[in-house]
Amino acid sequence: MKLKHLAAGMAAAMLLTACGSSAQTATTAAQAESTEASAEETTAAETAAEETEAAAAASGEPVKIVCTSEDYVKLFDKFTAETGIPTELLSMSSGEVLTKIKAEGGTPMADLWFGGGIDAFMGAKDDGLLEQVNFDGADALAPEYKDEENYWFAKGITVVGFLVNNDIIDEAGLTVPQSWDDLTDPSYKGEILMSNPAISGTNYAVVNAILQTKGDEDGWAYFEALNQNIDYYSKRGKDPKVKTMAGEVAIGIVPMDKEVDNMHEEQNVTAVYPSDGIPYVPEGVAVFKNGSNSEGAKQFIEWFYNNDENLQLVAEIDNKDTVKMIKPSMEGLELTFDTSKLMKEDLSLFGANRDDILAKWEVLAGDKSEE
Amino acid sequence: MAYIELKNLNKAFGEKVVVNDLNLSLERGKILCLLGPSGCGKTTTLRMIGGFLEADSGSICLDGEEISALPPEGRPVATVFQSYALFPNMTVIENVMYGLKFKGINRAKAREIALSKLEVTGLADYAGARVNEISGGQQQRVALARALAVEPKVLLLDEPLSNLDAKLRIRMRDELKELQKQLDMTMIFVTHDQEEAMVLADSIAIMHDGYLIQTGPPREVYDHPATQFAMEFLGSANRLTLSSGEVIYLRPEKLRILGAYSDGAMRTAETEKKAGTHLICADVVRGEYLGFYTLYFARTDQGEEIVLRSVDGNSVPEGTKLILAFEDADVLMRGAQ
Amino acid sequence: MIKLKRFGVMENMSKQSRCFAGEGMDFKRGRQKNSTADTWYYRALDRGIFYLMAALVLVFVLWPLLCIAGKSIQADGGISFRHYHSLFTDNFKLLKNSFFVAIPAALLSTLIGVAVAFRVALSKGRIRSVLMAILLMTMVSPPFISSLVYIQLFGRRGWITHGLLGLMISPYNQWGIIAMQSLHFASLNAIFMIGLLNNLDHNMIYASRDLGASPTETLKGVVFPLMLPGAGVCFILSLIRSISDFGTPIVIGGRFNTLAAAIYMKLIGYAQLEEASAMNMLLLIPAVIVFVLFRWLMKKSDGMISTGNAAKTSGSLPMKIRGPISWGINLISFVFYGMMVMQYLCIFLTGFLKSKRGVYYFTLENFNSLFAYNIDSLVRSVQYSLLVAVFGTLFAMLFAYYLERRKVRFKGFYDFVSTMPYLLPGTCFGIGYILAFNKGPLRLTGTAAIIVLNMIFKQLPTITKLCGTSLAQMNARMEDAARDLGAGNFFVTKDIVLPNLTQTFVTGFIYNFTSAMTTAGAIMFLISSRHKVAVYTLFDAINSGEYAVASLISTMIIVITLLVTGAVSAVMLRKPGNRSRTAK
Repeated sequence: MKLKHLAAGMAAAMLLTACGSSAQTATTAAQAESTEASAEETTAAETAAEETEAAAAASGEPVKIVCTSEDYVKLFDKFTAETGIPTELLSMSSGEVLTKIKAEGGTPMADLWFGGGIDAFMGAKDDGLLEQVNFDGADALAPEYKDEENYWFAKGITVVGFLVNNDIIDEAGLTVPQSWDDLTDPSYKGEILMSNPAISGTNYAVVNAILQTKGDEDGWAYFEALNQNIDYYSKRGKDPKVKTMAGEVAIGIVPMDKEVDNMHEEQNVTAVYPSDGIPYVPEGVAVFKNGSNSEGAKQFIEWFYNNDENLQLVAEIDNKDTVKMIKPSMEGLELTFDTSKLMKEDLSLFGANRDDILAKWEVLAGDKSEE
Repeated sequence: MAYIELKNLNKAFGEKVVVNDLNLSLERGKILCLLGPSGCGKTTTLRMIGGFLEADSGSICLDGEEISALPPEGRPVATVFQSYALFPNMTVIENVMYGLKFKGINRAKAREIALSKLEVTGLADYAGARVNEISGGQQQRVALARALAVEPKVLLLDEPLSNLDAKLRIRMRDELKELQKQLDMTMIFVTHDQEEAMVLADSIAIMHDGYLIQTGPPREVYDHPATQFAMEFLGSANRLTLSSGEVIYLRPEKLRILGAYSDGAMRTAETEKKAGTHLICADVVRGEYLGFYTLYFARTDQGEEIVLRSVDGNSVPEGTKLILAFEDADVLMRGAQ
Repeated sequence: MIKLKRFGVMENMSKQSRCFAGEGMDFKRGRQKNSTADTWYYRALDRGIFYLMAALVLVFVLWPLLCIAGKSIQADGGISFRHYHSLFTDNFKLLKNSFFVAIPAALLSTLIGVAVAFRVALSKGRIRSVLMAILLMTMVSPPFISSLVYIQLFGRRGWITHGLLGLMISPYNQWGIIAMQSLHFASLNAIFMIGLLNNLDHNMIYASRDLGASPTETLKGVVFPLMLPGAGVCFILSLIRSISDFGTPIVIGGRFNTLAAAIYMKLIGYAQLEEASAMNMLLLIPAVIVFVLFRWLMKKSDGMISTGNAAKTSGSLPMKIRGPISWGINLISFVFYGMMVMQYLCIFLTGFLKSKRGVYYFTLENFNSLFAYNIDSLVRSVQYSLLVAVFGTLFAMLFAYYLERRKVRFKGFYDFVSTMPYLLPGTCFGIGYILAFNKGPLRLTGTAAIIVLNMIFKQLPTITKLCGTSLAQMNARMEDAARDLGAGNFFVTKDIVLPNLTQTFVTGFIYNFTSAMTTAGAIMFLISSRHKVAVYTLFDAINSGEYAVASLISTMIIVITLLVTGAVSAVMLRKPGNRSRTAK
């Protein structure tokens, strides 16, 4: 049964590739037409929905999704239930996604990218790996949290703070740090862990945000000072969280996500939102170019943003309401969060400056992250 | 007409020539022994006949057919290996049946044949046993039965008795000879044991450093060795320098002990000796009593160490000077020195 | 430059193989008379099997590697050697670091492996079984969780190092890597050495004792020298393993960076495939040198391994040893077993613990969360691992046989190519697969096949080497005897060689199955949504911060692996019952 499925899938894939490039232009043209057509027919939403359902059922091709967590399965199940388009998801970090998509050489194994630091999405757009998605309702999204050419969108933002292990703080006779400036206090030497910004979108956001807030000169001076207190920068995004929890360090610079909430329950830890500004990074959503079901992925995006219920569901899954910032007009969700505490970030500088910042970072951090 | 014939066989491993231009032939129903010290090329020759090694050049003809290009499975010969090389994953009878599978014989028939071969080798009771449950001698018989089962034109045996104890070895040797006669087998037998070769062989081929030194019936090879090596490898030889300055070689048993030396005895011997008989004297240094004969180590007047054999039971004390006689006709080899 | 070097090596090897042309047999024989069962199609089948295997190795090992090499000379949309310009100078320090860690780690893991092997070999009865079982368990090392527990126990504030001993040592440096690798690699080394000790001819020990040597002197004078080549093999295998290991340096390395870890960073952090590929090529150079050394050592050790009529038993070594050597063996074994037992107890226990604000309590609650996860993946993992274990092991056995015993052309080349996956970090081999199989008729991305194939070929070198040693111990005359009786090559392989490698098959199966159940690096990029494996679910639990659930999944992986491998060994290695005797 499964084997049959697999064989059929492979045969289909082979047929597609066999059709070759000559057919490709024709298909893209047809696709363009069909999107236009569906745009016209939005008034007759019901028939359109029926049609897409029929089309999806006929093709049976699932939308393949890479996302940051399997928790989103509820959201995609809802999508499948309402549109009849099947979905399959796989969780991967954004670094892995980028490498994989690049290695796949233009035939990506996924259609939709859901979640992950926006810098990776910006890089992917520049590398021509993403597909433009123009849809009605895109205008309702806050312009600062989406690509101006509609190559990527956001589904919420990740804010960065400190995870503090109370036991260690007590043992070492320290106080819980409250601000970024506190972290440069020599008493914290060897007790802070932060991920290498190259692999962690979160920590890249920290570097970028602080540089933007303090200005280049003061910003780098700050990191020079912070560097004195940090023994090494971990090579996995998870390490600050894990090692703080395990008591290997007292303070981890971490994304304040659901996992931190869990930990807060179970472990003797404190989550600190820095008083002198909270760095943040939007979590991207995008469609890959040349995916086997890009159409389905585009439909998802339209479906996702045009129904506030979906956004509420994401807020519930993520256990945060930052999606309200993405679509300010959405109903049923109030922002409990004081956005004024967020650092001032110009997201357009995130992608463009990445290489320069990381290069400078390598010099500054020296042996601690890269060589 | 030769049943099996090796012509101009050559084999080298890298730089080292192991078999050098070997020519050999054997008649049907006879046993040929390849004899020589280890490293002489005898096993290599056997492995080339078996097909496990490809000759660099030369031909191997069996029953009028050139077989040197055939793979082992295509050659109508079978080998009994020194290590027996039984298949531990099979029972005794499965080992014996194995070769029959490739002759297109059905299992029932194969079982019957195998059982009959096991009976010949006296192992029918062990048909169902696993090969690592039986003794070395029994394993040897299984290997033999297995080789016999495929009814080879020539049976090749690579030192098959070397892993057995002395008694069993002699018994198996006799059984093998018996079996050969009974089945009228043609056999090529590799050994480094001269006694085994003498007992079994119709023809002995002595090899040394890749060269065939001599071939012929045991008696001929023993009595008329072609080279000093052949002479010394097959039995032992005494080197004697005659008064004329000529050096001769003699088998120990060809030196007759005439008696203890005294001037009188010597004179008598001188007068009684026939033409072609020589007399020498030697002092006994040491005696070794071996039961059915005694070995004496002695020193001649010229100071040469020689060995004597005496079959009479009287022991000769050390230091006794003996008068010894030998015939011209018994001299193996002569040379000036 | 690099290419030239590689070809030089191959040439050398093919020369060697020509030297051995005398042994074995080749394919290009003249016309031959058919024996009844050995018809042309069996001969064709025999050749076909090898050609098929060779083709598979070329496609699934060489082609992905070529794709990586190709990627490394890609830049700015064309061919360029830009990434090679400063490759060596840029990465020299990393390479040096890799060796700085690899040499002591290989030495220590070999030392521990040898000590543990002797401890096990000298034990009897139940103790021996228990020691052996623990050793097999330590072969199953679920990724992430193992290192997490290691940190929890031996970290800066580890329960043992800090809690119990009151130390505060940061393990996040080269010493930490060395310690963790030494412990981790020791298991396989110990199992390999136990195999050698089991094959030791006990008569040799008796002979030595007979000649007046004490047990200790026998150990020093006879047993150790005999074990030396085996220990050398362990050392070299561990050395390469350490060089290509990126997981340990990433978790525990702190500021200390190795080449393999840097390649991983280049891939994940910068998505710079081209540069990472070039760095891979650099990593291959020392690996190749070490590999050549390995071949040399294997050849040397051939004579040391007893063949034929050794009095083999799997019973304990017939000797009691005392004195410093014995203390050393006991101390090292005690520390090794102590650490391992604690580590695994921790994994098991974490699954049954929950904590509220840092205070732990016993519970079964975690099981509820467990079922929220994709437990299907566990079943799928078992399926894939079975495929890998059965086909991968058979493939390796056959491949080793053709390479070792049959005179195949380009033997050295195939041997070399098939060893490459061992020399590369797993992630890179995975990337090679995506590069190689993303389009055309060989498009495999997104299938289950690519995962299974990757695991088979990633693990092929280890099993092939294992089979090579076993083949060296198998009497070659047996194959001669079978051919002599009329069996063609196909039947020799089927009736004689494979049945006599049962023990090896079981060992290969265990290794393959265990690795396939826990492998992460190589298949990280190959998993697709439909083909998630257990390790993936494990990562998923960790990603959600549910460490207790992750522990439960790890426990399940360990238990299932032990059950399956235990069952297979029991069935395959059962003592053959007394067959009914055919004659009276």
